[in-house]
Amino acid sequence: MTSSSQLLIPLHVRYIQSLGENKDDLTYHLTAHLRMNAVYWGLTALCIMDHKDALSKDETIEYVMSCWVDEAGAFGPHPDHDPHLLPTLSAIQILVIHDALDRIDVPRVTKFILSLQQPSGVFAGDQFGEIDTRFLYSAVNALSLLDQLHQLDVEKTVSYIKQCKNFDGGFGAVIGAESHAAQVWVCTAALAILDRLDVIDQDTLAWWLAERQLPNGGLNGRPQKLEDVCYSFWVLSSLSVLRKVSWIDADKLTSFILSAQDTENGGIADRPGDLPDVFHTIFGVAGLSLLGYPGLVDIDPVYCMPANLIESKGLRKGWEALPRKAS
Amino acid sequence: MHGVKRVQYSQAALEAKKQRDHDKLKAYLALSDDVIARKKSHDMSNEAFELTTRLLRMNPEFYTVWNYRRDMFIESLFPQRSPSEVNELLSDDLSLTFELLKQHPKVYGIWNHRRWCLEHIPDGPSPDDVNGYRNSTWNKELFVVEKMLDADARNFHAWNYRRYILATMPFPPPPKSELAYTTRKIEANFSNFSAWHQRSKVLTTLWETGELDRVKSIEEEFELVRNAMYTDPDDQSVWIYHAWLIGNGNYAARLQFEITSIQELLDEQPDSKWCMESLVRYKRLLIEKHAENLGDKKALVDSCLELLAKLRDIDPPRRRRYDEIAEGIRSGNEMQ
Ligand SMILES: [Zn+2]
Repeated sequence: MTSSSQLLIPLHVRYIQSLGENKDDLTYHLTAHLRMNAVYWGLTALCIMDHKDALSKDETIEYVMSCWVDEAGAFGPHPDHDPHLLPTLSAIQILVIHDALDRIDVPRVTKFILSLQQPSGVFAGDQFGEIDTRFLYSAVNALSLLDQLHQLDVEKTVSYIKQCKNFDGGFGAVIGAESHAAQVWVCTAALAILDRLDVIDQDTLAWWLAERQLPNGGLNGRPQKLEDVCYSFWVLSSLSVLRKVSWIDADKLTSFILSAQDTENGGIADRPGDLPDVFHTIFGVAGLSLLGYPGLVDIDPVYCMPANLIESKGLRKGWEALPRKAS
Repeated sequence: MHGVKRVQYSQAALEAKKQRDHDKLKAYLALSDDVIARKKSHDMSNEAFELTTRLLRMNPEFYTVWNYRRDMFIESLFPQRSPSEVNELLSDDLSLTFELLKQHPKVYGIWNHRRWCLEHIPDGPSPDDVNGYRNSTWNKELFVVEKMLDADARNFHAWNYRRYILATMPFPPPPKSELAYTTRKIEANFSNFSAWHQRSKVLTTLWETGELDRVKSIEEEFELVRNAMYTDPDDQSVWIYHAWLIGNGNYAARLQFEITSIQELLDEQPDSKWCMESLVRYKRLLIEKHAENLGDKKALVDSCLELLAKLRDIDPPRRRRYDEIAEGIRSGNEMQ
């Protein structure tokens, strides 16, 4: 397996473009429930590689709107799939990137999102009631992008996150759950959006995060687990919010992410030698952006969207990534 | 996608795979289109129900189909049935999801559906025994989740489900039995941080309710951790748990005792990062919390700085952190 010491941007751009052409591939259809997320991941990765136009803007917006479920006032992940908070956030993110928020009925989407908050403060993903701090973050992120945060009961929301805090400084999916890098990121980012980073025991959490780096440079999501490109982003973005990216070895992590590229067909995998997918491609590219990899566009680690866009909406928080290196 | 190897197919193998996938794909799409069409036309027939079973076996992540199935339960299947029949129906879905979990232990939708089933177990079998169905179901669930944790002791879905089951059981086992469960898990593998985490939660409850004497129990915890530390000093799970036991370091005697004991281990394992890391942590606590009782504060400060310099060498990826801690100690020391 050949690996590369460079980010193969043209190859990854082609890989993302080709994702919509795999309609005779079983996996393409088995993952239809993630399609809206996948479009957001692909588009964001393209933005960070400065190839935003590689996917047609009009087609993308038409696809997003074809997933609107009018009875619910929310988006599904694919036409005929049920509405859910995760695709609703992705749809909003895509529309913000394409400056097309005017296509949606903001009061109705806001109402859908707020209706999912539970008495405990956490959010359900849909009316069937699965709860998770991921959904809480999705709600906070979406409301913030829609400029509707003033409608949220912030105290109640923060109180749930506080109860998910563990002795290692991290956060879990629900009260009582073990700390996990993905949940740490969603809780940290939600607190950043709500200007409540005071809830975090910052030294302890940054220590736990720094200890996620393994000798091969990759980061894991929990103690004594394997490294993975997606966890690398979640740890790294959390460290950016805490302004502690310097607590890990950036060069080794950069090499690890680059080594997970598919140098023949494009895309980035969870780890070297594995099959790539768009999920690890965005988190790999986004991680490299935070590490100052030359030629990339800045990503905002709180929203996982292009930083200049978030800044132009007046939503930038006090995170800190590594300075962009000259190529 | 996680852990799927990239394979180089020969041209012939690629063609054969394409053909196989093509047949599977055709069958999948036909079934999926059928189920979606029925969902749209609000078809609540038994036939439609069976089709969702087939489709979910092919794709258990298709949450819209789980939703459709739940709508059928609520709108059509439950109202036509007695509590005992409803109980049986749900128990069939619990069997189906157990079978699916064995192949897909990390699919949110399957765990989620299981929980939904539990929430709909009816009262009964009789007015004198309203919790009978629930009791036998929950007992089975505890068994199922233990099977899942036997297969993968770190599966966080399973641990979260386990906590949910224990919290909602009609007749819960005594909390001490959960402590015993974590002991078994930890003794099987000291690296199982999920079990250490669970232990911290269970102990907190037992101390708060007074079921365990905090002072005595914490003594036993330090003993357990000491064994683990000597078994594998590089295992961070154990050290993170140890830091939890020390907490904010209010007991100077405890800090001093642990410092001595870790120092002994470090003497045997002179390059142990976690020994050094923990010594710095606990010595700093001594300096911060018990400065007034310290004979020789300068010696402690110097020892921290020396350990940090060594950590910087043996653990270069995190050297900035060690530097920042050292700077903090130096500036704190100058101020006084
Ligand atoms: Zn991953």
